[in-house]
Formats: sequence, C-alpha cells, structure tokens
Amino acid sequence: MKLGRGKEDVEGRVPPNQRLTRGWPVLHASPVPKFNPAVWSFRVWGEVSNESELTWDEFRALPTATVHSDFHCVTGWSKLDNDWEGISFTEIAGRAKPKPSATHVLVHAEYGYTANLPLETLMDDDVLFAWSHNGEPLEPEHGGPLRLVVPKLYAWKSAKWVRGVRFLDHDERGYWEVRGYHNHADPWREERYSWQE
Amino acid sequence: MAENPSTPADVWAMIERADELVKYASNRDPKTAYEQARETLRKAAELACTVPGAQPLEDQAYKRLEDIDKLENETPQ
Repeated sequence: MKLGRGKEDVEGRVPPNQRLTRGWPVLHASPVPKFNPAVWSFRVWGEVSNESELTWDEFRALPTATVHSDFHCVTGWSKLDNDWEGISFTEIAGRAKPKPSATHVLVHAEYGYTANLPLETLMDDDVLFAWSHNGEPLEPEHGGPLRLVVPKLYAWKSAKWVRGVRFLDHDERGYWEVRGYHNHADPWREERYSWQE
Repeated sequence: MAENPSTPADVWAMIERADELVKYASNRDPKTAYEQARETLRKAAELACTVPGAQPLEDQAYKRLEDIDKLENETPQ
C-alpha cells in the first residue's frame, strides 16, 4: 500500500525559515539504545478496547505501508523525498480500537522520552511507525529499529526508538513540550515554542 | 551608551543553544558538548534571575541541567 504525497517541485515544500539538507543530520537527546529483538516489545494501552504488547516478530508481521514524505526539524533543516516503510498508525489504532473517550496519544520511547499528539493527527494516512528509510533498514542513530514518522509536524514529534503508545482521554505534554516547545508543532505555522500557543 | 537590557527572548536563545549542543552531541565529543551546554545553561539561569518575566526560564535551565546529569549516566560505556 503506497500512501502520502508524490514527488513534486521543491518550491512550496520547504516551510518558513527552514533550509534544505541533502544529508540527514543526527540529533537526539539521549544515547543510541541497543536493540535486542528477543526482548523488544511494543505496548498499546490506555483508552482502548484491546490493549496489547507485541514482540518484534509480531510487530513486523503486521500489514506494511510505505509513505513518501518530507521531514522538517525545528533546528532548521528540512529533508525532502523520504521513502518510509513500516506499520501505519491506523493499523495499530484499528487493532487497539480506541474508546470514544480517546482524544490524544502519548508516544513512549526509550529512556522515557515521550511525544504527545492528537489522535486525529495520528490518524492521517501519512503517519507510520517506520523501520525502513529509502529502502534500507532504519539506522539506530536515526531511530532504528522503529521510529514514528509524522510528516506534517516538526520532527521532535516523530519519536525515535518507539516502544509503545498510550491512548488518553486528555492531552498530556511530552518531553520537549514541557521544556518550552510547542504543543502542536506545525512547521508551516512555525509553531516552535510554547509561548506561541 | 548603555547596552540594551536583556529580555526573556535572550534567555531562551541561550537555552535553545544548549538544547542544540545536547541534541548534536553524538556528532562530536559528547562530554565536551554536555559541558558547554551546562555552562550555557548556568549563564542562562543567572541571566533569567535578572530579567523581568524570565523566572520560568530559570526553571527550564535547571530542568535541563538535571537532564544532562541523567544523560551522562545513561551513556553506554
């Protein structure tokens, strides 16, 4: 299944005050965790009818999706034309069956990192948990074995080294969101800082 | 001529600089990057004390100093 935007002219694809990069800068606020597929799990819990905890093999056996999308970092660079492969968020949500009370999701990653998003945002068809980038396994420094990809928002919402999602009946700010960064993070509106809210 | 007084935006710019030092630390010597971030955050906290309206940013600077301590303990040997 191929989802997301197609290739088009660069003009109009770079948000305000962003610069294009051909490389892929490495940045994160924690060490790169070691991946052990024998103990790795992906937990889905909270405001859902079907809580679950999937092993790496179970997760990889889910139906896959690919997305072609751009990527915008709040530190000022944008990387266009990324091909991601993984599991769409809608696939995870469809299995979990969110309760009517579910409005937000807190994405949990290694070292206690979290990122909060409205459920509605995550249900876009270009949101996925990716294990592959441009046809290659996602490298650990870029979030491998698994990262969230939310192309429409600044990249800190696309948490690296994801280990689960908790569905909530309220919003709850994540790691950077309690450290002065914007709760929504739309690069086209330059939603960088919390005082803009 | 007197210098322009600092503003909360000046304090935040220092904190953001420290954030970038931490985020990009793995591209260079992390120990040096963390120490530079600490120094920047200490200066930001000191400045925040003197700037009207910047008190919440002093808290943000101290939160990040705690973050860096945790990060160093998590770094694989």
